[in-house]
Amino acid sequence: MEKFAKAFPSKPLPSKTAKPWALAGVVGSGNLEVLLERGGRPSGTMECHVETSIPGYKASWLAALADFAHHYPAGGTKVTINDQGAPPVLVNLRLRQAYDHLTKGDK
Amino acid sequence: MTSGPLFHEQTARQRIAALADTGSFAELLPPPERLTSPYLVQLGIPVSFDDGLVIGRAKIGGKKVYLAAQVGQFVGGAVGEIHGAKLTGLFKAAARDRVPCVLIIESGGVRLHEGSAGEIAIAETMRAIFECRAKKVPTIAVIATDIGAYGGMGILSTCCDFRVMTEHGRLGISGPIVIEKWMGKKAYDSSNRALVWKTSGGKTKYLLGDADALVHDGADAVRDAVAKLLGKSSPVSLKGVKERQKELEKRLKRFGDTADPDAVWKGMGVRNIEAASLASGPEFAALAKRGK
Amino acid sequence: MNTAKSGLRRQNKAQRLAKVGKLARGKFVSSDKVPELLKRIIEPGDILCLEGDNQKQADFLANQLATLDKKDLHDIHLVMSCITLPAHIELFKKGMIRQVDFCYAGPQGTAVADLVKAKKFPVGAIHTYNELYARYYIDLTPRVALIAATQADRKGNLFLAANTEDTPAIVEPTAFSDGIVFAQVNEIVDRLPRIDIPADQVDFIVEAPYPMHLQALFTRDPAAITDVQVLMAMVALRGIYEKYEVQSLNHGVGFNTAAIELLLPTYGERLGLKGKICKYWMVNPLPTMIPAIESGWVESVFAVGGEVGMERYTAARSDVFFTGRDGSFHSNRAMGQLAGHYAIDMFIGASLQIDINGNSSTVSKNRITGFGGAPNMGCQPTGRRHPTKAWLKAGAEANPGPGSPPGRKLVVQMVETFQAGRVPTFVEQLDATDPGIRKALHGVAPVMIYGDDVTHIVTEEGIANLAACRSIAERQAAIRAVAGYTPVGLKRNKRETADLRARGIVQLPEDVGVRPSEASRSLLATQDIKGLVRWSKGLYDPPSQFVDW
Repeated sequence: MEKFAKAFPSKPLPSKTAKPWALAGVVGSGNLEVLLERGGRPSGTMECHVETSIPGYKASWLAALADFAHHYPAGGTKVTINDQGAPPVLVNLRLRQAYDHLTKGDK
Repeated sequence: MTSGPLFHEQTARQRIAALADTGSFAELLPPPERLTSPYLVQLGIPVSFDDGLVIGRAKIGGKKVYLAAQVGQFVGGAVGEIHGAKLTGLFKAAARDRVPCVLIIESGGVRLHEGSAGEIAIAETMRAIFECRAKKVPTIAVIATDIGAYGGMGILSTCCDFRVMTEHGRLGISGPIVIEKWMGKKAYDSSNRALVWKTSGGKTKYLLGDADALVHDGADAVRDAVAKLLGKSSPVSLKGVKERQKELEKRLKRFGDTADPDAVWKGMGVRNIEAASLASGPEFAALAKRGK
Repeated sequence: MNTAKSGLRRQNKAQRLAKVGKLARGKFVSSDKVPELLKRIIEPGDILCLEGDNQKQADFLANQLATLDKKDLHDIHLVMSCITLPAHIELFKKGMIRQVDFCYAGPQGTAVADLVKAKKFPVGAIHTYNELYARYYIDLTPRVALIAATQADRKGNLFLAANTEDTPAIVEPTAFSDGIVFAQVNEIVDRLPRIDIPADQVDFIVEAPYPMHLQALFTRDPAAITDVQVLMAMVALRGIYEKYEVQSLNHGVGFNTAAIELLLPTYGERLGLKGKICKYWMVNPLPTMIPAIESGWVESVFAVGGEVGMERYTAARSDVFFTGRDGSFHSNRAMGQLAGHYAIDMFIGASLQIDINGNSSTVSKNRITGFGGAPNMGCQPTGRRHPTKAWLKAGAEANPGPGSPPGRKLVVQMVETFQAGRVPTFVEQLDATDPGIRKALHGVAPVMIYGDDVTHIVTEEGIANLAACRSIAERQAAIRAVAGYTPVGLKRNKRETADLRARGIVQLPEDVGVRPSEASRSLLATQDIKGLVRWSKGLYDPPSQFVDW
């Protein structure tokens, strides 16, 4: 297991969201879960906590998270990830799904 | 056939959203509470915020229910300490509040890494289920994926009033690999998927009366079947248990020495095996003269 | 003085046949006599062809050959499509082989790599299929060919059923050069459904005690297709199939292209592409094509081989598949490969590794697999002259110089940026360039598809149009742009990527009208094998390992 945390600059989240938190994905082989929560953080950063079962890929994790924080206004959120070896593309997909759920609701 | 997403392809949370009336699901102990397994962490195994079980209050067709779904991908949906406590609590709440309880099962049974806690939780949940049944509070198990309901969860599912299955679902005590290990490959070849499904799959369980409804692999079909059963209950009585015991003895006598699962299907009134193999849900049921 | 040889080969064949004597009754040999017969008909120094490709195998004959010893059989120059069976490896371990020329070693890739390391693998070259067949007519003509057929009649005619595959390409050069053709058959019957190889090209026949090995190579369970593969399939459909109006094509065997096949009747139909794309196929009877065929997308399919379980389906769809007078399916690997080389708009396949120049390979340091047929199709056929819309459009983008053809075949590599277990697909340098491997192959690195031939790379990140790049540096930047979060991808330059995107050389999913959040398995025409059987109206009989009902 490898554990790390980092905050990334990001434009502030819209002031109104459909939910206070959203979860996307499941913890299973080659998969991950992303918990996205709003509130309580500086509005200009996306705070990320990652726990992954496959160590040694911190650079690609940080690059993927930084890209997401750059492309989506997610400032003021906290991202917590439980990972069981998901490829970066899935990290990106789950972040987008969680973001959609948070901002627009489940449907 | 059904349209829309297939039930066995959905995640636990998607299944819950599909079964519950829109917007009616309120999760208990949701992920932000971060109730994760203290044991898996120590073993270097990733944890999950819901510990593999999503529970909450919801409405189905306007009726209040307690609704839960196991996450099969997370350590095989296995029951650990947190997972088990949530499961027990849910059925206890159902009995206390006299609100029907629907559980979507996807589990191989107890989580080996936290075995004692899991065993105890399953036993306590069974007690809560029987409390529900004594109070005529309906309890419904849905078994609709190939992970199925095995081990303690297989037993637990049969304690509920009703079981709703699809052709993908499997129900048993020992899993196929375990049976092969103890009985030998000649007696039971676990790699023979057709054999495994013909012995423990939803269709066979429906034929034998272990499943109360066999439905298409779609959220709508599962929801309709659950909604129909919500108003019913089947209280436990000594007479009922004795009758069931007799049925099982009859079944054993009739099919106990049969090595060919097709013979069981034929014995239960399926005439065209090939057509029945490809049929789903009610279409299968129509091809079979389901007996007891 | 006249030095031309005259009738020597024929004399030599007659001598070998004389040595066989009463071991055979006419052409027919009983299975227990096979090892002795092989000893008498094969001589040291022979070029010996052992039939076996990635699907069917003359496995009984190979197993019998492997029971012999070096003193019985040595200095053999082995020529064969695929090194597939443990028996093949045994021949090398026993030191019977002087040289080997082959195409592919999929299932024995690790064993071959071990033999190379132990210097017990005297390889001439790794070929592509048609390249090796071509050499059977030039400098690698077999002296003896051990082949596999489904049935023989009492005269010695052979029926090859759905799996014609390499057989004609082996038998013709052997039989017409006074070589010996020895066939194993599943059964000997009075009347064949049809004659695929005439008796006078066959010298010996044995009814094998077990049916020939047949690999269900092209069966992909839709249940194993991921959402990410669906995303890539959507991107490929919009960014390449739709854009170039690809009418004739070949698909590889992977899950990526299976996802495309299963999207045609759903997503493809929604895009209004039916009748516009994917009409003519050079591909094996892929079970995952059943929904597209049943929905009327497909005009014709020609195949290099059969597929287990597709017999009744292909026979019932004779308007689409090539079938014999008996009504059953027909294939031919040599002609199929030729069709895939010259007559299609697009080849699309996957690879294990792609380097920054676009070269790809399936070789790793511990596994030497070779090529098979992909490079015959995944290359530019500069001998091609007939135009099609796709060919001209791709050609125009490539900005041909005064000395190049006006068109280009679309050669597409479709890969996820990471393989299973987070192994990056994109690398600075291919494992195939390993010095040990190159030395064993006489200096040639086993590259599957050369970067110069590739027109597009599709990943989950988007499409890189390599044909439209104007320099090697630009091509490398385009590849890094779609290489995601691999070490190769992390080296991309943001400004360079933005510039390539502005010029349409790099396209993200949204640039071709695909929303990643829409990518879901629920878009597939069916999600499992049982669904394929249902689509086929019960005509598809999947192999038992795929059946759970």
